Amino acid sequence: MTGPAPLAADRPDGSAGDATSGDIRKEMLAAAQSLDRSAPSPAAAMTSDLSIDEELTLHSIGWEPIELVYGVSLHSIPMGVWNWGQGEITHASSAFARSFAAATDRIHHECARSGGHGVVGVHVERNVDRHHIGIALTGTAVRPVGAKKLPSADSVFVSDLSGRDFTLLQGSGWMPLGLAAGASFVYAPRRSMGTAMKQTSQNVELTNFTEAMYAARESAMERMQRSALALQGTGVVEVKVTEGPMEFAHHAIGFSAYGTVIRLVAGQHRNLAPRMVLPLDDPVRGVEATALRGA
Amino acid sequence: MTDTPQDLPEGASKRLAELEHGLFTSDLSVNEFLLIKEVGFHPLGFVMGSSIYHTGIQTRKWGQSQELTKLTEAMYNARELAMTRMEEEAAELGADGVVGVRLDVNYYEWGKDAAEFIAVGTAVKAENGVSYRNKLGKPFTSDLSGQDFWTLMQTGHIPQGLVMGTCVYHIAHRGIGQTLGSAGQNVELPNFTQALYEARELAMTRMQDEANQLDASGIVGVRLEEKSHQWGSHTIEFLSLGTAVVKTSGEVTLPAPTTIISLDN
Amino acid sequence: MDDVPGDLPEAAARRFSEGAFTSGLTVPDFAACLQMGLEPAGYVQGFCVMKWGSWQFYPGAGPYGGYGPNVAGTHGGYSESWQCPHGFVSAEHRVWGQNYEQPWVEDAWANGFTSAYERLIEEASALGAHGIVGLVDTSAPLGDLGVLEFRVQGTAVKVKDGPPPADGRPWTTYLAGQRLAKLIEAGYMPVSIAATVASVRVWASCITAYLTEGTNPGWTSQAVGAEIEQTARAQMAVRRIARERVRAQLGGDSLHGASMGTRERELGEGDADLECILRGNRVRRFKEFDPMPAPRPTVRLS
Repeated sequence: MTGPAPLAADRPDGSAGDATSGDIRKEMLAAAQSLDRSAPSPAAAMTSDLSIDEELTLHSIGWEPIELVYGVSLHSIPMGVWNWGQGEITHASSAFARSFAAATDRIHHECARSGGHGVVGVHVERNVDRHHIGIALTGTAVRPVGAKKLPSADSVFVSDLSGRDFTLLQGSGWMPLGLAAGASFVYAPRRSMGTAMKQTSQNVELTNFTEAMYAARESAMERMQRSALALQGTGVVEVKVTEGPMEFAHHAIGFSAYGTVIRLVAGQHRNLAPRMVLPLDDPVRGVEATALRGA
Repeated sequence: MTDTPQDLPEGASKRLAELEHGLFTSDLSVNEFLLIKEVGFHPLGFVMGSSIYHTGIQTRKWGQSQELTKLTEAMYNARELAMTRMEEEAAELGADGVVGVRLDVNYYEWGKDAAEFIAVGTAVKAENGVSYRNKLGKPFTSDLSGQDFWTLMQTGHIPQGLVMGTCVYHIAHRGIGQTLGSAGQNVELPNFTQALYEARELAMTRMQDEANQLDASGIVGVRLEEKSHQWGSHTIEFLSLGTAVVKTSGEVTLPAPTTIISLDN
Repeated sequence: MDDVPGDLPEAAARRFSEGAFTSGLTVPDFAACLQMGLEPAGYVQGFCVMKWGSWQFYPGAGPYGGYGPNVAGTHGGYSESWQCPHGFVSAEHRVWGQNYEQPWVEDAWANGFTSAYERLIEEASALGAHGIVGLVDTSAPLGDLGVLEFRVQGTAVKVKDGPPPADGRPWTTYLAGQRLAKLIEAGYMPVSIAATVASVRVWASCITAYLTEGTNPGWTSQAVGAEIEQTARAQMAVRRIARERVRAQLGGDSLHGASMGTRERELGEGDADLECILRGNRVRRFKEFDPMPAPRPTVRLS
């Protein structure tokens, strides 16, 4: 086979690459040899669903994962509440609020029991059904490396921010306090047959629709803000909002929002002063192997 | 391949002749273009090959697990024809290789059981005048992006060809019913495990045979996929694809990556 | 062919005897592995096709005769029951409801997964591999045949100048490339993958059935908008069991990069099969905790 070696010689820092790849080789070798030694004590075992990037960034600020934790709660919605009505469907809104609170409470206890000071990367599953609402939270409990003191369930934080976001926030002097959530379910207002007929050929704002939707959205956000204030937060970041008609009752519309409450804990905000990088990546493009076989 | 057209379409020769005057066309992004220049290659032109292929029908034995060789051949030949024509276009340009190869299948309303297999990519040539063609004297082909091409070159490997193996397999109907009728437990069905295992290994081995013809030292980016399409759930095509590479130098010259934490979303 | 495929198929044996290596790694992962001194030996795989049926009518299962296993004898560690507070029995009104672990489902899953995994290890050992990286495991129904196939695939590697594994079994990990390099940098060595399933059956009590599906409106006095305690406890339990089962596999090592997935199959009013699959990398700390310097924050110019 012909062809010169790649352009190693032309590289101004060609040797630096070699030196470092030697280091990682030595580490890899040492790591592979360590498997001959017996496993450490079960007490030291941690479980975590963090990616290696998240774990390394947590390490860099002196935190470590300890345990995969979760909290689930389901609350019942009485029969018939989705039938036509007016205003808010309070049974549904309160089932959401109670489920979220109970699931949060459970993940708090799980976290405290495992010795975690908080939970990061919480994955929130919302399941709204005709007769019940379920909330499931899954995340990884973390603590400052080697922290011994067991925290109380009230003092731990729960956050859906990734390990990376937690690291960045912490580096800037902020801390997550907990999850804030709010939901509101409303009936879409009805138009009388007469009104609907009159409006078929007109361009008009359906003011009562506007008002009902607007109010529902506002009250979901307001509930979320109230729970953030209860945690004594200064802000809520990464708020996720879902809204839309219920699959099982198209005349009912649900709004729900949640996000992580944060507060400045350092004396003042610290700037990150990021460096600019110019990446040479494109979105990955490859042969679609399935293309060869047809649809 | 005997039924390969001896000549490319007239339009192709004309287009390629124009490219020989120094203009190049490519679907490379600017990033890819710069990285390909970085390892000493220059793009020559956008090349393609096409083949419209009618897949035949093969009777399957209800109770027997077996390979459907006729369908296997159809799937393999159609792609091979398209690839070969693309290689011819590249050779016409005096290219050393083709990067960013994509394979596609189009269906048209006028052709039942027929499909157009297309291969497209960008022909490249080394700037130092050394030939990078593969052992068969043909331009190498690879589905690597410009970034992957650069990275691969830093590891001391050079692509030799996009290699593929396929196997269309029929799974017996009888036997499964018998087993299902018996005990109420979730148990292994060893015959089926074995049949599917065999089919996958056949696809992999054929891919590897292609690589061996190129004297490759390895195949990177192997993908093994499977699907039972219009043929019904008992007939499955197993397809493996990868880029055959040859090692030219001992050392990996990648610099140690810098750890960064991106503030982009 | 024997009952259980103990040997590699002919084609696999031929494939391994030939010169070129095959690697399922992407080019960046391939490059990173070479940099770490991991040389690809071959693409390796293991499979197990199993008959996979519904457990709904498993002979003798459940609290009612003829529906399930003898409750006292065969169920697993977790079991809880809820007595009906109403004090009467009818065809539609259960005397009690029960949550219980279904070890027979868990064991069947473990059998399928382990068989496929062991075959993967066998292929890798045949290549003289030290480890398997970039592992991918899937399980999928095969067409409409009522069977489930477990598949485990990955790239076998040798550690340059490294000794073969002491017990002859290659180490395995879902990670490859730079992610593996970073794991090593973090001080962890992959030992194996860890994967388990937990299965819990919910036989709804009369109150659970009402709360879940709004049936039996006569019993509303129990609670309006109350928590569905039985289902919530089952949901918590299925996750706890999955975590405990994985912890039992860890033997003092840690679980890194786990993913926990749950699935619910509704079987009736409040009745359900809950499943929780937990998988991740079993890793062992080989050097002291030594955090890398804080990475440099960057903003992309593009």
